[in-house]
Amino acid sequence: MEGKDFSIAIDIGGTFTDSVIANKKGEVFKVAKTASTPNNPSQGFIKSVTKVLKLAGVDPSSVEVVLHGSTVVTNAILENKSAKTALITTKGFRHVLEIGRAEIPRESNLYGWIKPNRPIKPRDIFEISERIRHDGTIILPIDISNLNNIVKVLKEEHYNAVAISLMHSYANPTHEKKLGKELRKLLPNIEISLSFEVLPIFREYERAMATVINASVQPIVGSYMKELTSELENLKITSPLFIMKSNGGIFTPKEAAKYGVHMALSGPAAGMSGAAYTGKIAGYKNLITIDMGGTSADVALVKGGMLQTSTGARINHQPLALPIIDIHTIGAGGGSIASVAKNGAILVGPESAGATPGPAAYNLGGTRPTVTDANLILGRIPPHLLGGTVPLDENAAYKAIDEFVAKPLGTNVLEASLGIIKIVNETMHGALKLMSVERGLNPADFILTAFGGAGPVHGGDLMRLLSASGLLIPRYPGILCANGLLTTDLKYDFALTKLQRANNYDYNAMNLVFEDLEKSAQLRLSEDRVSLNRRVINRAVDLRYAGQGTELTVNFPPGLVTKQTTQTAVKEFHDLHKQLYTFSDDSSPVEIINLRVQALGKSDHIGPPLIMKSDGNEPKNKSVRRVVIDQAGYENVPVFNRETLLDGHEILGPAIIDQLDSTTLILKDQKLKVDKFGNLLIRECTNE
Amino acid sequence: MSKSDAQILTVKASDRIVFELIKGGLTAARREMEAVITRTSMSPFIREKKDFFTAILNRDGELVVSTSLTLAGNLLESVLKVYPINTMIDGDVYWYNDPYFTNGAVSHLPDMVFITPVFSDGKLVAFVECWGHLWDIGGAVPGSISPTATSVFQEGIMIPPVRIIRNGIRNEEVFRIFIQNTRFPDLLEGDLNSIMAACDLGKHRVEAIIKRHGSIALEQAFEEIIQQTQFAIESEISNRIPEGEWFFRDRIDSDAVTDDSYFIDLAMTHKNGNLSLDFSQTEKQATGPINFVMHDSVPKFMLGLFLTQHDPNVGMNAGFQRAISDVKTRPGSLLNPISPAPLGLRSHSMFRVNSCLFGALAQATDGKSSAASPVYVLYYLRGKSASGGEELCIEGLSVGYGARSFADGLDAVYYVAQENYPIEFAEMEFGVEIESFSFHKDSGGPGQYRGGCGIVRDVRVLLDEMTLGIRIDNCKYPAFGVNGGLSGGEGKVIINPDISKPVELKPLSDGNKLKYGDLVRIITPGGGGWGSPYDRKASDVLNDVLDGKVSPESAKKDYGVVLTKDQRNVNETETAKKRKTVLTSKKMFHRRDFYNATDDREDTYKS
Repeated sequence: MEGKDFSIAIDIGGTFTDSVIANKKGEVFKVAKTASTPNNPSQGFIKSVTKVLKLAGVDPSSVEVVLHGSTVVTNAILENKSAKTALITTKGFRHVLEIGRAEIPRESNLYGWIKPNRPIKPRDIFEISERIRHDGTIILPIDISNLNNIVKVLKEEHYNAVAISLMHSYANPTHEKKLGKELRKLLPNIEISLSFEVLPIFREYERAMATVINASVQPIVGSYMKELTSELENLKITSPLFIMKSNGGIFTPKEAAKYGVHMALSGPAAGMSGAAYTGKIAGYKNLITIDMGGTSADVALVKGGMLQTSTGARINHQPLALPIIDIHTIGAGGGSIASVAKNGAILVGPESAGATPGPAAYNLGGTRPTVTDANLILGRIPPHLLGGTVPLDENAAYKAIDEFVAKPLGTNVLEASLGIIKIVNETMHGALKLMSVERGLNPADFILTAFGGAGPVHGGDLMRLLSASGLLIPRYPGILCANGLLTTDLKYDFALTKLQRANNYDYNAMNLVFEDLEKSAQLRLSEDRVSLNRRVINRAVDLRYAGQGTELTVNFPPGLVTKQTTQTAVKEFHDLHKQLYTFSDDSSPVEIINLRVQALGKSDHIGPPLIMKSDGNEPKNKSVRRVVIDQAGYENVPVFNRETLLDGHEILGPAIIDQLDSTTLILKDQKLKVDKFGNLLIRECTNE
Repeated sequence: MSKSDAQILTVKASDRIVFELIKGGLTAARREMEAVITRTSMSPFIREKKDFFTAILNRDGELVVSTSLTLAGNLLESVLKVYPINTMIDGDVYWYNDPYFTNGAVSHLPDMVFITPVFSDGKLVAFVECWGHLWDIGGAVPGSISPTATSVFQEGIMIPPVRIIRNGIRNEEVFRIFIQNTRFPDLLEGDLNSIMAACDLGKHRVEAIIKRHGSIALEQAFEEIIQQTQFAIESEISNRIPEGEWFFRDRIDSDAVTDDSYFIDLAMTHKNGNLSLDFSQTEKQATGPINFVMHDSVPKFMLGLFLTQHDPNVGMNAGFQRAISDVKTRPGSLLNPISPAPLGLRSHSMFRVNSCLFGALAQATDGKSSAASPVYVLYYLRGKSASGGEELCIEGLSVGYGARSFADGLDAVYYVAQENYPIEFAEMEFGVEIESFSFHKDSGGPGQYRGGCGIVRDVRVLLDEMTLGIRIDNCKYPAFGVNGGLSGGEGKVIINPDISKPVELKPLSDGNKLKYGDLVRIITPGGGGWGSPYDRKASDVLNDVLDGKVSPESAKKDYGVVLTKDQRNVNETETAKKRKTVLTSKKMFHRRDFYNATDDREDTYKS
């Protein structure tokens, strides 16, 4: 193949690494799945790059860009495997991180709850004398005479990373800058994270947490980026590498090495990006999405074609107040274990058999029944996965369900299996509703998009439960994360807390902040060599009614900040508040808290190529499978091969669509239509 | 076969699955109600501290699914006294806050209850309910609650059950009367709207469940959800609490108005499979606002949640109430006061009710209960801003919780679901500067499992004049230790600690005058310890020293752990030597000294 226009996308998950190679002209679009190598992720990365290159017969010199979604940071945070990290903070506040927000979580039992471990302990936290007020005034100049003592301990105790988070540093970073500069001199080989660079937003606990997490993953991300870059060079791939961020965009390895914390949800963000892109090409701007994998399901929203971000995420029970795709994760996946409790309650998840030992049907040592086992018994998935490479043992599944669910309930395996599916669907239904109601939205106004290996087989049920207006299944639901990487842009968020009291807005000050943020944004895009015509700069502000404790983000008009442009944003705030919270109060004073700028470097998005148009003939099923759709029991259901479906084909349920990476189930009274990109759109016949 | 097995196996499997679907739907509905309140309320008390409660009730008003807070009485009963069921129609919302009229459905005035009936084909089948703690509802002082109140009439407006919405139309007259009675009308209106919106959403969700599964299945599921909890608790009681009778008494420092301390007295009896809790020997009602209109359900919820803490599948509901046969209180006593006794600080009594339960349980189970937790701390700073407006800072502060028989007590927590203010938020909003915020070293009661540490918060006043109300308990009577564990550290409040003549304030007081530049140091109490501190792993003691939770002196004196000179390691030899000379006590409890429950019960109540 000629021309340097190939993109490679590699998404490394816990079990599998998915890869895609494609070119802009749409001639090539090859996908592959390889086993992940959790102990040495760069090795797995390079293995899958090699594999897709070979698969497509493409020369390394023809690769224009490599995109990568990774769980390196996620795992480091979840498994507490990050670097030994110290924090330096303002004198008097050494215990802030350990105290946190002092609450026992709402859904916990106050007598049995145990505070989750912070990434670092108070013994890792050092104090320095200084103080700045919320308006940026220095009331106590920084005193670094003690710094040498701190450095001595840091060296003796072999700390590998240092975070600095001083009070109100967002309002005036002078002290953090000074401390950072001195420390870099004294500890030239240690990574240092400054809170005003990681998260210049008020709320000391959350800011310190983000900074500590960033520092603690910096050494890991740094060496991972080095390895990837040199491995690519070994393969003679000299094209740029981009890394997926939690905000739905990508960034450079250089930025990743500095701000690794932005990779905390790299994997799911790639999937969301793929879902938003699928919606866009299929003609739907408002999606509620569910990504159901082996151990969990992620629920998220796409509104107006944009995937939604929030600053309220929690990772490993800790708050991470950076812009992160707004997903709600629940313990419901193919590997979720079903059991009957002592009191008769039927439980499905959150306990999971994971990839090992996996569902009973995998025959890898798992003996307890899972959602996958139930789907197998019901005939909803084929007796093998990944096109026959992973055989499933129906007897093992039967035995597990019989022993752990059917017998304790006094029923047969069929009814027990159906029950397991209904219950896990109900759990997901609850999460889907919660996601929409929390944002004041009606799920009926949305198209449900189901992906992940296990999503499409549950999608029909979920659409029905939710009364969503339709169900969209992407072309490659099992590898949407890798696909999604091909549809992202460079995306950097800049923000600063600059409190503006109602009726006393300082337009001049806001102008200066926006100008500063935009200067940083342009600089970053220049460093990434984004040409001017591909740059997009958006402004936003976080507003609240005076007295409220949380903010809402709305767009802010470009150009000079005036009373008028500010009022536009304030009006948008009232409207959004009304939509989200059922009421707004035009007479209530509105405060401006944070100013935000987002910098985009647009890239060419590549999706799956068009499929052939049907010639008007009905699609032909490859076989018939005995499937349980409802209480009626087994019935013969036609099974179609996804690869043989053509643009314009329609199939009336019940039907099964098998493909390499997933299975789609269409219920009775549901109708499927294939679009030109090979996406499946399913609707209730009553909605036709 | 236990009682629960027998009950449940008679139900057909398909019904079991429908049951799980309904249960899942109700749980999700309640979470959605919480989501609406979290994101729509306006005052910091509800938004940031999340001081609210949501529930779905059966048609008799029994809780079916609810927030896991131990403060929930019979929420419906009092409404029915005024509005019989046959007068209710779809689209009604009822509202009240009066603890006396409602026999403790809520226990102080700021908690505003809203309750909505849910109908199926014209038949009332359920209620949804929310309450939230409102920021200011009038009364003697901004924020409504003051430690110096001597009458409930000083604590804000009282709303008997009223029908605030009839058939979807709000009673604007009642609403206006209420809004006129607050110093912060905008916030209040926002909060009330938010709570009512949550009720409305809950109602729609329950209606959707009825549409899907039918009202008969719904009502059956209600009953079974309650029974699941009931059986779980009954089985815990019969497995863990032997038959017998145990007494315990715990004390509250003062009632804030007088210097008198008050005791709460419990006789717990387990006989013929029935567990009863008799608080009738508790002291007479107080002059100050620590009186607690305690609904029967409160100690039942406490005991039930304690006994089922390791089973996340036990939902909080009326099953707790059914499983424990009876609770006695004496009219005119601290736990059953007669109006107009003030109520604003009732949590002081509530926490001692909890510690009495732990005390009785410790004796019944060879020490397998938790040590006592102090009550959380609040302070109120009131002042005038430069523009002459009311400035009000109400901050809840965390304390250390009692150690458990399996884990340390929680360091620095306030209570379930309620978050503290970020320092950077408080400084923006309240005309104060927080100069330090740290653990209260050595306040966690030493033990094999250490009690949680309280905190120290230094608050600098930045307005010309401010008045300070403060409520710290557990200074005279710190949280007791159990089974060899020592009592927790005391609380304290000091003005200008760094000058030559610091002033120590009464820890439960109000009206303390402050001026610009004054520094208020608030030191909160810690939780009691569990088990002998000499049995604590030396490395854990070292870690506590390194983390600033325990001093090297206490490590040596209380834990018998000697550190190396640089205080970074354990001196194993010295520690082994020191730990040989352990003084053990056979007495179950510790408060400054070891004691038995009987030592503390010589006097009877002053009626």
